[in-house]
Amino acid sequence: MTTRKYLTAAVVIAVLGVAHVFAWGTTEVSPAALVDGWRGMARFLAEALPPDLDWDTVVQPGLEGCLTTLAIGLLGTTLSIPAALLFAVMGTRGRNRIVYQLSRSVMSFLRAVPDVVFALVFVTAVGLGPFAGVLALICHNVGVMGKLWSEAMDEIDPGPADALRVSGAREAQVVANAVLPAVVPALVGLLLYRFDVNVRSSLVLGLVGAGGVGFLINQSIQLFQFDQMATYILMVLVLIVAVDLLSAAVRRRLG
Amino acid sequence: MKGLRKSFGDRTVLNGVDFEVRAGELVVLLGANGSGKSTALRCVVGLAEADAGEITVHSGRAAMVFQQIHLVRRRNVIDNVCAGGLAGLPLSRSLTPALFPRDLREKAMACLDRVGLADRARDRAGSLSGGQQQRVAVARALCQGAEVLLADEPVSALDPAAATQVMELLVELAHRDGLAVAAVLHQPDLARRHADRVIGLLHGEIRLTTAAAELSDVDIDALYAPDRVPA
Ligand SMILES: Nc1ncnc2c1ncn2[C@@H]1O[C@H](COP(=O)(O)OP(=O)(O)O)[C@@H](O)[C@H]1O
Ligand SMILES: [Mg+2]
Repeated sequence: MTTRKYLTAAVVIAVLGVAHVFAWGTTEVSPAALVDGWRGMARFLAEALPPDLDWDTVVQPGLEGCLTTLAIGLLGTTLSIPAALLFAVMGTRGRNRIVYQLSRSVMSFLRAVPDVVFALVFVTAVGLGPFAGVLALICHNVGVMGKLWSEAMDEIDPGPADALRVSGAREAQVVANAVLPAVVPALVGLLLYRFDVNVRSSLVLGLVGAGGVGFLINQSIQLFQFDQMATYILMVLVLIVAVDLLSAAVRRRLG
Repeated sequence: MKGLRKSFGDRTVLNGVDFEVRAGELVVLLGANGSGKSTALRCVVGLAEADAGEITVHSGRAAMVFQQIHLVRRRNVIDNVCAGGLAGLPLSRSLTPALFPRDLREKAMACLDRVGLADRARDRAGSLSGGQQQRVAVARALCQGAEVLLADEPVSALDPAAATQVMELLVELAHRDGLAVAAVLHQPDLARRHADRVIGLLHGEIRLTTAAAELSDVDIDALYAPDRVPA
């Protein structure tokens, strides 16, 4: 029994070892390159500081870019509500097996495809710009939020609903007075959490051409204007922290 | 209740249970976990369907309170009590507490006053203590207007003082207001102190029916540890 345990452990360690050697090779890990690159990094930093704070060419476009990024995140979240709700309800336990499996599979697929991949697809379809970003976020978010909502609905305590059924209340009255008061705050909390994540995602989508401040960052790197890039990154930092604080504050009040 | 039978799959949970609770009387059901007490009560209120047997509730529906209380914790106390009276409302007045009609609110307030919590009407239900929440649940049951009140382990989650308070409330509802009250308990002492009659369930059958004052320790052992007692 114990020899078998040791044997299993030895095999696991050997497999992990081989996997790491292989991974080291394919990712071209090279400490030497990192040391050599140090000079490049230093020059890059030197050029990034101080940030370029010129209003007309940098700050104003940057603010507009931030607004666009925020707008992409907002629409990507709210426009995914109807589909997410539909799949979430269809994917709760105790539903017809086929309906349940179908909606769980659709949501799994949408979750498995990263939003950046959706963005690349939609950029080819509708062209560069924020609209492609909104579409990409909707697709991915329906999968993620649908699953989170579905689980939240599964976790609701059926007790209060039973208590009202006993009193002879009709199903619509039970839903309005026992189910929704428990479900809605949970769903809104998850919605805010997804808004928070989606604003961050929309930055990355900007890097692949879906507009917003991410797009500006990409541009300034390609034009070697690192001092402009520094300004944009500072703005992004402020934006992210602000959204994070806002959604956390609202969620606290809900909870 | 006559000849009540209920199985889940091939497991027989209730095997011919008959009992009766009269108006003005507090009957306590005792029995080990799994003996079928909750299932019997759930059959009466329609949360479970009996396979056979007959249940008659004179005066319409029975009301029920639960060990887990089952209030909507985020809503305030008075709205929770009003929810007991939803059955009598049209949909257009019942979808949110703001639409509840005035007379329902007044009735709910009277019920809340009956359990001694009128001063907490505006507080969030979740902010009350366990004993207070259970009394709110009783008020919600009263607001339903039923004359039969079932209580499934109403005090199992409460401390002794709160448990006594809730039991005294149930006694009053039976003796003063003339309700028929049936309560599942796990504390024989509470049963002796508060009940009029005690019914003992074992493996889905009634083993014992006695006046509470005559409940003996041997009876209790027979219900809770039947293998240790000679038949
Ligand atoms: N919905 C259900 N499905 C399957 N078995 C159940 C269900 N409800 C109760 N039972 C079973 O019925 C038996 C009696 O349960 P219950 O009436 O809750 O007992 P008690 O309240 O006396 O502890 C238990 O063995 C329990 O596992
Ligand atoms: Mg029980």
